[in-house]
Amino acid sequence: MASDEEDFVFFGTPIEREEDITSRKKKSIAEASGQLRTLAPWKQEVRDEEGRRRFHGAFSGGFSAGYFNTVGSKEGWTPQTFTSSRKNRAEIKQQDLSNFLDDDEKAELEGNSLGTSMQFDTFGFTAAEVARKQVEKEQNERPSAIPGPAPDEIVVPATDPIGVRLMLKMGWRRGHSIKSSKTSSLYDARREARKAFLALSEDAKAPVAGPTQAEAEDDIELSTDGVSQLHKSTPVYVLNPKQDMHGLGYDPFKGAPEFRENKRSHLPGNKESGHKRQPPKKDGLFSFKTRNVAPGFGIGALEELDAEDEDVYASGYDFEAFVEEIEEPTKLAIEDKKKTTVKQHGILPGFKPATNSDYQLERFDPPVVPKDFVPHHNFPATSEVNHKMTELPPKDVPPPEDNNLKILIEGVATLVARCGPLFEELSREKNQSNPLFDFLNGGNGHDYYKRKLWEAKQKHGDKIKPLLKEKVTPNTQKMTAESRGNILGEKPLLRSVAKDVPAPVSVTETVNLQFHLSDTFTEPSSFVEPTEITKPFQHDPAKQDRFEQYMKEKYHGGLRTKDAGESSKMSESARARERLEFEAAAEAITQGKWGKESQPSGQQILGVPGGRGLQFTSGGSEKMEVSRGEETIEKSMFPKREEFQWRPASILCKRFDLIDPYMGKPPPPPRSRSKLDSLIFMPDYVKAATEVEKTFSNNKLPVSQLDEKGETSVEDVVEVENVERPVDLYKAIFSDDSDDEEGSSNIIINQPQSEDPTKKIEAANTTLSRLVAGDFLESLGKELGLEVPPENHVNVKPPQPTQKSTPQKQEPINSDSHKDINRIQENSSKNDASELNHEKRDTKVERKGSSSEDDRKRKRSKRHRNRNRNGSSSDGNASESSDDYRDRDRHSSRRKERKKESSRDRSSSHGRHRKHRSRDSSSKSRRYDDKDYGDGKREKRKSRD
Amino acid sequence: MSAEDLPKNEAQVLKGHEGAVLTARFNKDGNYCLTGGKDRTIRLWNPHRGIHIKTYKAHAREVRDVHVTPDNSKICSCGGDRQVFYWDVSTGRVIRKFRGHDSEVNAVKFNEYSSVVVSAGYDRSLRAWDCRSHSTEPIQIIDTFLDSVMSVCLTKTEIIAGSVDGTVRTFDIRIGRELSDDLGQPVNCISLSNDGNCVLASCLDSTLRLLDRTSGELLQEYKGHTCKSFKMDCCLTNSDAHVVGGSEDGRLFFWDLVDASVVSSFRAHSSVVTSVSYHPKDNCVMTASVDGSVRVWKA
Repeated sequence: MASDEEDFVFFGTPIEREEDITSRKKKSIAEASGQLRTLAPWKQEVRDEEGRRRFHGAFSGGFSAGYFNTVGSKEGWTPQTFTSSRKNRAEIKQQDLSNFLDDDEKAELEGNSLGTSMQFDTFGFTAAEVARKQVEKEQNERPSAIPGPAPDEIVVPATDPIGVRLMLKMGWRRGHSIKSSKTSSLYDARREARKAFLALSEDAKAPVAGPTQAEAEDDIELSTDGVSQLHKSTPVYVLNPKQDMHGLGYDPFKGAPEFRENKRSHLPGNKESGHKRQPPKKDGLFSFKTRNVAPGFGIGALEELDAEDEDVYASGYDFEAFVEEIEEPTKLAIEDKKKTTVKQHGILPGFKPATNSDYQLERFDPPVVPKDFVPHHNFPATSEVNHKMTELPPKDVPPPEDNNLKILIEGVATLVARCGPLFEELSREKNQSNPLFDFLNGGNGHDYYKRKLWEAKQKHGDKIKPLLKEKVTPNTQKMTAESRGNILGEKPLLRSVAKDVPAPVSVTETVNLQFHLSDTFTEPSSFVEPTEITKPFQHDPAKQDRFEQYMKEKYHGGLRTKDAGESSKMSESARARERLEFEAAAEAITQGKWGKESQPSGQQILGVPGGRGLQFTSGGSEKMEVSRGEETIEKSMFPKREEFQWRPASILCKRFDLIDPYMGKPPPPPRSRSKLDSLIFMPDYVKAATEVEKTFSNNKLPVSQLDEKGETSVEDVVEVENVERPVDLYKAIFSDDSDDEEGSSNIIINQPQSEDPTKKIEAANTTLSRLVAGDFLESLGKELGLEVPPENHVNVKPPQPTQKSTPQKQEPINSDSHKDINRIQENSSKNDASELNHEKRDTKVERKGSSSEDDRKRKRSKRHRNRNRNGSSSDGNASESSDDYRDRDRHSSRRKERKKESSRDRSSSHGRHRKHRSRDSSSKSRRYDDKDYGDGKREKRKSRD
Repeated sequence: MSAEDLPKNEAQVLKGHEGAVLTARFNKDGNYCLTGGKDRTIRLWNPHRGIHIKTYKAHAREVRDVHVTPDNSKICSCGGDRQVFYWDVSTGRVIRKFRGHDSEVNAVKFNEYSSVVVSAGYDRSLRAWDCRSHSTEPIQIIDTFLDSVMSVCLTKTEIIAGSVDGTVRTFDIRIGRELSDDLGQPVNCISLSNDGNCVLASCLDSTLRLLDRTSGELLQEYKGHTCKSFKMDCCLTNSDAHVVGGSEDGRLFFWDLVDASVVSSFRAHSSVVTSVSYHPKDNCVMTASVDGSVRVWKA
């Protein structure tokens, strides 16, 4: 067709038919028709005349770039040189040099730029002058740089010099500089120095001194500008004396400007501290030398001042110095005034009053009048109490032979003491003729009467004082510690001699008490019966000593820091128990139960089954009221001390910087892995702890038996308590598959104990053949659930059934644990028989060792080895009381073994385990196990040889 | 120290807490103090000048106890939100939150090396939290108590805690032993004497009891105040000569340590005195109260 078309010539434009117009085009036309124009701008799509969307690129606008795909804008297309971005910098139409300089360069150029001066003021002295005056005012409020008073009369305000007046006529105004300073690039460095200073004073731009400071800064900033120099005024520097101890130019707040404010608040006078560093260089003695030196740049002592060091602002300062000169007198005068006022407060300039002074005036207050002081004089005659304090005690004399007379004397003395001397007079008159009352008139027994009277008075007076908690019998409450001390402390031996006379049937209270007291403290052997009463621990002298010590301590009162030191050998619980007994005994004594006939027994007080030789002596009749004893218990119940085992976490110990008391023991079981675990095990834990105590008390055998065997038995009991319950559980669950393993592992456990390898090897050789058969039988038996006793097992079976009913445990299922307890008890009881069985035990061990080898031959499984490791470690720890469940688990294996062996053997093997543990402390470690294994191998090799 | 030297003059009133102040504690040298209260904030003060320095906010409920390390760098606090907060003093940020208590936490203390925080909770447990590691799990839980643990004290080797079950329990880490002293009355607060030999227990029968720690013996009872239902503090003076305790009627009591006589007592607050803290060196005591104020008393 193309070839055909070439032949034709067309004129005009062909009419497009409807169908030729593409849909795109239609759309664009439709858009153009305005229908779509009403859409929101973001909904409109930009299309070309063909209706196509043009893709500019994913990163250059997508389908819509520019202003609706144009380079135009809302206002239409306007050519612009430079439009900028965010901050409308485009508005800077006029560019100058500064636009192209960065800050540093600008700073450098700054000195060269022209600018308007704030100082220019058409109307002469207005703003500048006001500012100047303000500054002056402020200066008056400042301390002076020159200390010491300068009277106003001396410093006469000088009139203006003629030069100043001339210049004023010529149009110069105060504060304006005259000389133009030379400009030089050298100045830049100086400028920086100045800036450093300004930085210091930056925050000091107080509004009050605003214009002045503006001056100052303008000057600083523009002073290099020679042209404008004439229009500038020199700043008035507020003279601020240097008040700190820092070196010149040193800025303590250089790195920490935040604190400057803080510091200023501390120095109330320094509102404008920024200025204060400038004056010294003008006022100082060396002002001439240092005047031209730029601040902040020091000159060494040996250096000479040369051109470099000269201050670029020399001119300004020169003038400034001039101005200062004019103003100085008034200022000084005012400042002096201020200084004197300051001085009145006793504060030197440059010092500030310390907030807290070390010096403190020591005051001696007059003696304090006691609160209860009554300004009323008490005459001594009126008060017997006061009297007897000064009264010298009469000589202590033995009572008269005649008992009746003695009693009479004592009775009269008591009465006289109670009723006063008048009674004595009365009775003397009444019984003038009675020879019995001779003692009143200085006859027979007068001395004794005097003594008794004095004692009675003491007693009577002491009644006022609060009675000490003493072992005073209720009927003799009048007796106090003081009087007793007088009775006993002075001549105790003498009194005891007197006590050799047997007491009459009807003794007075005092005598009775004296007997008791002296029995307690002085001569216990003089009277048999009272001694027994007051010595509750007579059978145990050591304990009695402790008791007395306790009583002494108790009545000394106060805070007691030390425990009974001598009883350090006793265990904590034993001490606590004893203490309880002591308390009970003391209580009983206080309540008079230790009187003549009534005696509480230890059982009743303590509620502990007795019969252990620790009891109170029960020689007398036991007529004590139980109810009172119970009261005692109630009283001594609170505070009640209990002791438990508690295991701190090892990390806790570490954090407290302590050594873990349970270090080396297996880690505690994970706490309550499941509800079931916690339910089953937790009570056991507590019980084990209490059980420990119980066993301690139970093992409080007579001292002769409390040897090391007793201790081991204690430990064993503990172990058993820990073990029993979980074993049952485990047994219930795992009994079927653990049986054979246990049997074998136990044999292996015992292997390392054998201490005589050669002997062992011999035995091994001889019995090897038998053992093979035996082992086979044994394993077969176990498979079938039977128990095959080892052949050469020599047993001494304990009479177990008799002890099965031990009251300690009532676990119905727990035959194993029962056996264990029994075993332990036998342990202690049957130690005497141990010698007989020594040889047997040896052979037994040998046999075990060899059998273990066989075991290894037969079973090499990993599991087996694991068992072995567990077993050995558990044996290592067998003697410790731990609450570890893994331990319990392991112990079950031991128990299995025990079933077949005699208790004798077990105890011996136990002992060896302990020995072994001491040899190799890291019984749990893998190394140990390997060694074990290696040993076994070596032995095997040897046996083969 | 005689009774005349006991603090009785109000030196400062620290106001700022909204609502009850539940705890007020001096720092180690006594120059600063921390208070915590119902308004869920902990505030740091200079109690001698009466200046409020900083407020620590993060607790979701009331703050019941707060303790600061000896070097003043860290704070631990606890409260009704069941958490123990471990703060940085200077930044005021919470370094760590120890969660684990099942209920409100009543008391909290640092150990000597500030490495462990021990908290006592209403959930009948004591928990020890490790500050050194990043773990937020307790390193030890002691749950032998039978009721809410109200107060805890630490020595170098022991953790001592008092509980509503009436016991004061001493956990000796060195020996691995728990001593339980049953007082028969709910224990509200315990406080160690400065020589460490005694423990003072405030019981809910309005009695303070002084126990000898070595023997567990009751040395003295102090009565006269009211303490029946509130968690209230008690303490000994820094000389151990007197016992200080607040009362529910807003009074402050001083007892003689030995003869248990009330040496001094005055109305310190208009309402319950919740917390009492004695200055470690000076004769100065700080009391906090339900009335929202903390007062500093000096001799």
